[in-house]
Amino acid sequence: MKRVVSLLFLAALAVLLLYVVANMPPMGDPQSPTRTHVVPKYLEDAQEETHAPNVITGIILNYRGYDTMGEVTVIFCALAGVLAVLGREKRGRIYAYADRSRVKSSTIVKTMVRFTVPFIILFSVYTILHGEISPGGGFQGGAIIGASMIIFTTVFGLYESSQRIPQKLRLPLEGSAVLTFFTVGVLGMVGGGNFLTYAWPHIAVSLQPAVVVWLTILVEIGIGLGGAMVFISILFSMIREGEEVAVVP
Amino acid sequence: MGPALNIILIALLVITALTATFSRDLLAAVIIFSVYSLIMCLMWQRLQAPDLALTEAAVGAGVTTVLFVVAIFKTRRKEER
Amino acid sequence: MRLFHNYHYVAAMLLFCIGLYTVIVRRNIIKKLIGLNIMETAVFFFYISLGYMDNGIAPIRVGGAQPGQMVNPIPQALILTGIVVAVSVTALALSLVILLYRQYGTLDVDHLMRQEEDEGEGEKGKGAEG
Repeated sequence: MKRVVSLLFLAALAVLLLYVVANMPPMGDPQSPTRTHVVPKYLEDAQEETHAPNVITGIILNYRGYDTMGEVTVIFCALAGVLAVLGREKRGRIYAYADRSRVKSSTIVKTMVRFTVPFIILFSVYTILHGEISPGGGFQGGAIIGASMIIFTTVFGLYESSQRIPQKLRLPLEGSAVLTFFTVGVLGMVGGGNFLTYAWPHIAVSLQPAVVVWLTILVEIGIGLGGAMVFISILFSMIREGEEVAVVP
Repeated sequence: MGPALNIILIALLVITALTATFSRDLLAAVIIFSVYSLIMCLMWQRLQAPDLALTEAAVGAGVTTVLFVVAIFKTRRKEER
Repeated sequence: MRLFHNYHYVAAMLLFCIGLYTVIVRRNIIKKLIGLNIMETAVFFFYISLGYMDNGIAPIRVGGAQPGQMVNPIPQALILTGIVVAVSVTALALSLVILLYRQYGTLDVDHLMRQEEDEGEGEKGKGAEG
């Protein structure tokens, strides 16, 4: 009964959506209204005003910096929610993970993972720092670091990987994305402009491009580091078993 | 090459989405969902959006799939009838 | 026919309806979360294919790329934020699912609602007596 009613509702919705789609401008038209009003100004002025060849990095960090600030706040709130629901281990106590699976990883897998994880982290640092020149950026690099720690945890267990990235390293760095944004914003106000202005009016005009580029790189590093620590903390909180055993080393 | 590749990718997207919906084993559904994420990443590249392709590859196939697998490991694996 | 030319939009609507069917009809909560993710990626797909231009190139200004030939960069910037929000929602929802299983022992929505009705009636009975 529920399935029949829901299928009828979905059929009605699909008919309505297809009717709307059939009346939209044709896709890929160079003269369509989404392409001719604001976009040429963004595409042509992005290189001079933001000093970043990647137009998308210029848009999300410079023209629409508030949206990116809200996005890093959302990531931080997700971490806060996960920690409020599942909790994390007490500080300073090395906890032992009750190993549920009886199968240990083979030597080949362990050696290959130990060999490739440094290169993955190197690639992620390259992605973070090259966010303005090539596709990439802060968040992509942070997600790649998180993925590399995920594969390390899968193969070696939670005990080993929480020794590599202990809590005293994760705890100060989790909020670094939001903190970097607010610092750069307040520095913009100190430099004479509004909040989150990159080109400070108080300094010489010939120095302004360098300041814009350096502030953008600083914000990208902040987003990358913060995003990586958030993902690693979420993973560790979801994996842990709940009881802690103080291990005497 | 242009529209034909797009149509093949879209057909694969729809097939994987339907298979992920209608499978009883939750672990199989999550792995098929990660294949859906991968094909969506290729679709972003076909639409000339390289930043999004990188983000979808790193986040969809790396983080979301593993979080789903951890949640399934902590709860049960078969869907109840 | 315009529908055959806009086949990207049609595919996005189809994927949205598949995701919505999964959220409504399936009883397991993890299956509903998979359906939610399919709905979100269908909306992103629709939005990015709005900004596509025929024979366009990626909006990166290197190697002599002309800005008159690039695809629309604004939807891509907005959807980048959207992907991040989607993964945050999924992470929080999965941690709530783990807590729900620890508390109730089941992940089936009908069984959960029946258990909550039984608990509600038990408390109402206790409140009437006390």
